[in-house]
Amino acid sequence: MELALAWLVAAAGMLAVSPGVLALPHIAPQVVALTHAWVLGFFVTVAVGAIYQIAPVALGTTLVNERYGWWHLGLHAVGVPGMVYSFWCSDLKLLGHFGSLVGLGIVLFAINTWRTVRRSQQRGPVAWSIGLAAGWLLLTVLAGLMLAANRFWHFIPLNPIALLRAHAHAGLVGFFVTLLQGVTFQLVPMFTLGDVRDWRLVKTGLWLSQIGLLGLTQALAWDAGYAAAVCGGLIFAGMFASGWALKQALATRKKRRFDPGVLAFLVGATGLNVAAVLGILLVWPTTSWSSAPGGFGAMVYAVVLVVGGLLPTITGMMCKIVPFLTWMRAYGPKVGRMATPSAGALTKPQIEKWAFALQALAVLPLTAGAWLLNTTLLRIGAWILLAGVAVFLGAMLAVLKHLWRPVSVASTATKQSSQS
Amino acid sequence: MTDTVPENALLWRTLESIPDPEFGINIVDLGLIYSVACNNGDVNVVMTLTTSTCPSGAWIHGGVRAALQELPGVKSVQVDLVFEPAWNTEMLSANARRELGWKDEI
Repeated sequence: MELALAWLVAAAGMLAVSPGVLALPHIAPQVVALTHAWVLGFFVTVAVGAIYQIAPVALGTTLVNERYGWWHLGLHAVGVPGMVYSFWCSDLKLLGHFGSLVGLGIVLFAINTWRTVRRSQQRGPVAWSIGLAAGWLLLTVLAGLMLAANRFWHFIPLNPIALLRAHAHAGLVGFFVTLLQGVTFQLVPMFTLGDVRDWRLVKTGLWLSQIGLLGLTQALAWDAGYAAAVCGGLIFAGMFASGWALKQALATRKKRRFDPGVLAFLVGATGLNVAAVLGILLVWPTTSWSSAPGGFGAMVYAVVLVVGGLLPTITGMMCKIVPFLTWMRAYGPKVGRMATPSAGALTKPQIEKWAFALQALAVLPLTAGAWLLNTTLLRIGAWILLAGVAVFLGAMLAVLKHLWRPVSVASTATKQSSQS
Repeated sequence: MTDTVPENALLWRTLESIPDPEFGINIVDLGLIYSVACNNGDVNVVMTLTTSTCPSGAWIHGGVRAALQELPGVKSVQVDLVFEPAWNTEMLSANARRELGWKDEI
């Protein structure tokens, strides 16, 4: 979690220092470096960490091999900074070395995850989504390594930009959306005291998206515009079905008030749906597929997808998961032996609200700046985003400090009452 | 330890001091405790969890035993974790519903 937070700050810092990167073509080395800092550095680190912690609990089993997990963490911690540096400097040889380290780590992660799912003997949509997401992540990393090798030896007779788009979607949609379409239905009902009413709808959403994804990655790789739009439509239909199932589950919730984290998660999920619609419009054959910057293009789509969709979704869930995991470590063993605070009492809801508001505010200038190629707007957006990230970091550190300095319940209760 | 057997009310009050980690509501109001019985200092608790995969289940289960074990007059504590009947939101007390933000639907 600490590594993921460090990457979040680093990625937001990179953008704040070089906001003009978003005015470059999306295949520019700096754009690719920045994308990997955000996606592989922050999102993947936090997501795989959460899978290691939550998947065994959700599946009612234990992680098959914890040592694989530590090896993965080590390889990831060394490999990703090297990859980002290599992209930035366009050093393909170095990229191959560091990318191989990351790839090896993901192989260990995928094997560990699949074996854990298999051992659990659960075959519901939650289990499927975890297993499938691990598969998409592995496929994405291996495809990325092949793309790098293809730059040297040119053994794939396809447009490299098209292949890059397919690689990006295998990761962004294949890993993250697949994961969200399952674990959401384990976590959100748990955090809101609700019930999933229609598991068949959850399954339908997951499988529609999977069929769409298989087609989309092929269609993007072969530059097939209509096919890509149809497959994008299938993914959107799957996301819509998942969203409807989530709406039904939320209707049953007994915890009426939404925490800032759950609210941010829902805003992010909406952002992902908006991004899906933009993606379909973008691949429509009458839309320009040019990789040139400016106008309605890949960069606008990417900003909405990453900053407007994935960021609030993931950071929103972090606001629920991090306090819970911290509570388990810091206070779990003390239950019944002394007064303990709740996981919610470890959080700072007001600070979280500010963090999410700033992050949401940043989407507008960043999108407009990427569309209009306006560096001033990009700079404003990047600095607002950095401020939002800094506030979010403060909120997370306030939770994590309980690992080292647990508080007495009396002081926690006082803090809670003063916050409300 | 004394020879005085703890009253049932004290056992329930003790369990009320244990909050659920996610919602901060005590486990009695949350409806997790199905029954508490004391027979000459031997306490038997039947309880459940909101879900069988509740991540904090082991801590709550252990906490119930630890809290009751501390009471004077308690010789042994047995905590049976059951999932039949399964917990559902109808088991929430009026207090719990109020804390969760329900106003008029109690």
